[in-house]
Amino acid sequence: MVLEFKNINKSFGEKKVLKGVSFVAEGGKAFGLLGRNGAGKTTSIRILMNVFPADSGEILVDGKPIDYQAIGIGYLPEERGLYPKKTIMTQLVYFAELKGMTAKDAAKSVEYWLDRLGMSEYKNKRLDTLSKGNQQKIQLITALAHNPHIVILDEPFSGLDPVNAMLLKDVVKEQIAQGKIVLFSSHQMNYIEEFCDSIAIINAGKIAISGDLHDIKRNYVRDKLVVSTTTPEAIKADLVNTCTEREDGSLLIQLTSPEEKQSMMEWLVANYDIDEVKVFEPSLNDIFVEYAGEQI
Amino acid sequence: MKQFWKILKFELKGYFKNKIFVGITIFLVVAIAAVMFFPNIIAAFKTDESETPDVTELPVMLVYAEDDTLAGIVKEYFTDAFADYNVALAEGTLEDVQSQIISGEAECAFVLDSAFSYTYYVNNLTMYDSNTAIANNVLQEVYRVTAMLSNGLTAEQVGEIMSVQIESKTAALGKDQMQNFFYTYIMIFALYMVIMLYGQMVATNVATEKSSRAMELLITSAKPVGMMFGKVLASCIAGLIQLIAVFGSALLFFNLNKSAWGENMIIQSIFNIPVDLFVYMLIFFILGFLVYAFLYGAIGSTASKLEDINTSVLPITFLFIIAFFVVIFSMTSGSLDTPLMKVCSYIPFTSPMAMFTRICLSTVAWYEIALSIAALVGSTIGIGILSARIYRVGVLLYGTPPKIGTLIKTVFKKE
Repeated sequence: MVLEFKNINKSFGEKKVLKGVSFVAEGGKAFGLLGRNGAGKTTSIRILMNVFPADSGEILVDGKPIDYQAIGIGYLPEERGLYPKKTIMTQLVYFAELKGMTAKDAAKSVEYWLDRLGMSEYKNKRLDTLSKGNQQKIQLITALAHNPHIVILDEPFSGLDPVNAMLLKDVVKEQIAQGKIVLFSSHQMNYIEEFCDSIAIINAGKIAISGDLHDIKRNYVRDKLVVSTTTPEAIKADLVNTCTEREDGSLLIQLTSPEEKQSMMEWLVANYDIDEVKVFEPSLNDIFVEYAGEQI
Repeated sequence: MKQFWKILKFELKGYFKNKIFVGITIFLVVAIAAVMFFPNIIAAFKTDESETPDVTELPVMLVYAEDDTLAGIVKEYFTDAFADYNVALAEGTLEDVQSQIISGEAECAFVLDSAFSYTYYVNNLTMYDSNTAIANNVLQEVYRVTAMLSNGLTAEQVGEIMSVQIESKTAALGKDQMQNFFYTYIMIFALYMVIMLYGQMVATNVATEKSSRAMELLITSAKPVGMMFGKVLASCIAGLIQLIAVFGSALLFFNLNKSAWGENMIIQSIFNIPVDLFVYMLIFFILGFLVYAFLYGAIGSTASKLEDINTSVLPITFLFIIAFFVVIFSMTSGSLDTPLMKVCSYIPFTSPMAMFTRICLSTVAWYEIALSIAALVGSTIGIGILSARIYRVGVLLYGTPPKIGTLIKTVFKKE
């Protein structure tokens, strides 16, 4: 299954929130939708969920306009919230029924998920009697109980302790293994790097960069060197304008072009006491800061 | 449609599991039972007591006059007229009478200067003291009787003249306002109470979902029209069930105590409501309720916090209170076919009360009723759809509630 956002535009009043957003997410893989607060992630998700229509553009599934009767979508919103005064079972079954399940199937599926997440003992308890982490797990069930084709997880790991985070990771991996499209939105780049094969970074309503994460990293311009040395001050003094010190004490040297790489390495080794010198490979965090950092 | 039923069922269950809802219903049924059994309870206690109260336990009313004959006659008449008092002739001087009242030995006193003039003495004059009015009537009667006797009429003739009975009949060719007044009043008042209570409940319900962020999930799971209609119809059904419980138990308790209430015209008229008026009552009640509940739901969706609800719903509450007072004033003044009431009979916010009142208390042509109901049905559907649109926009807005004008503009612009 392939989900495709094709040139989606959306304005609220005078404000253009999405300006020609396009990306492709495939089944059996996790897709990271990244961007700073207010970049347009939630609006994109709401358009995908048919909360409101796009002004122009299309959402395609396997090349055809999305059919909401046939394609189920599960959503874990960033702003968590359910009915605090109602029992867990009642509300989980209700949400699964709203997504089109029969009462019987809904109850069966909810029972399975409560068991899967170790929450069966709470099924007749009111939501507000549960801890934050457990409420989070209940919320996750609302996204998964109706066995959707597309799973949207907005900041899924926030508020989880390491044990529960591990449990959630397993569940997400299961969903991916079942061939579902898992759409991640998070500011915790380590999780995105761990799960997502592809990403799209939205900046001020536009896609700043999108595609396979490895390709993005590989295609990143190789014009910086990372140097570990015992004489950082001497190098910094000689390369005043192009050398900066990193948080871990190593130096980052900006080259004028990628071709300068070889000669600069040789020059460094010849003139200073160098422990290690290598081409700078960006982390997702670096890519995010570069592409989402400034408003386009 | 399937979603609508699921929402309706879920919301309705919510009402029946709500302790406040159940508590109010039980309280009302118990209160109605207490009222309906009241005459029998009183009767049960009365049988234990002696039928004629002891005169010496009653408050003392003194009669004082310089002329002993006058004092004697007046005391005799007053004893009959003031059954709740122990009427006695005063002894001693005027000062003695006054000090007896101040000390509390006597409650009041009539000090007669002549057969036509007296001073009424009482310690604290209450707002409801009608003793002087009764005394005036009695003294006039005393004068008339003595005058007639002194002019040669026999005691029998005087008795006949004084006790002459007038026979009268009234034939209402249109509606009998007196007959229909009470259940019209009850329906208007019930509608007022139910809309105020349930309207607020619908608004709070929507705002709670929004503030608890359950809305994030709901809005992505169900269509706004389904949500709005499901919620509002559930509240309407819950309201009707509550009213059926209250009025049904009232009817049951009335029948159990029929003999005790048999003479009471108000109660009789309430339970003898004609079938056609009852049907109109149901139609106008349900439609009127829906119009306002939709508006309350829409407004609830624009509030981000529960505290905002009270101020957000004020315009609707004012609209409703104005409608209520227009109808109540027309009802109590008896002038129901004024131009204002006629106009109000076709405006959806006022017609449920105005038209129903006119149907009950005045003569309205069938086509006027049909037109009013048709306008109301149309507006109910229209307002329902508009509310669903406001809801869809409103639930996603957080922060300061938007102005109504801006909101409506946004709602129409989106389509």
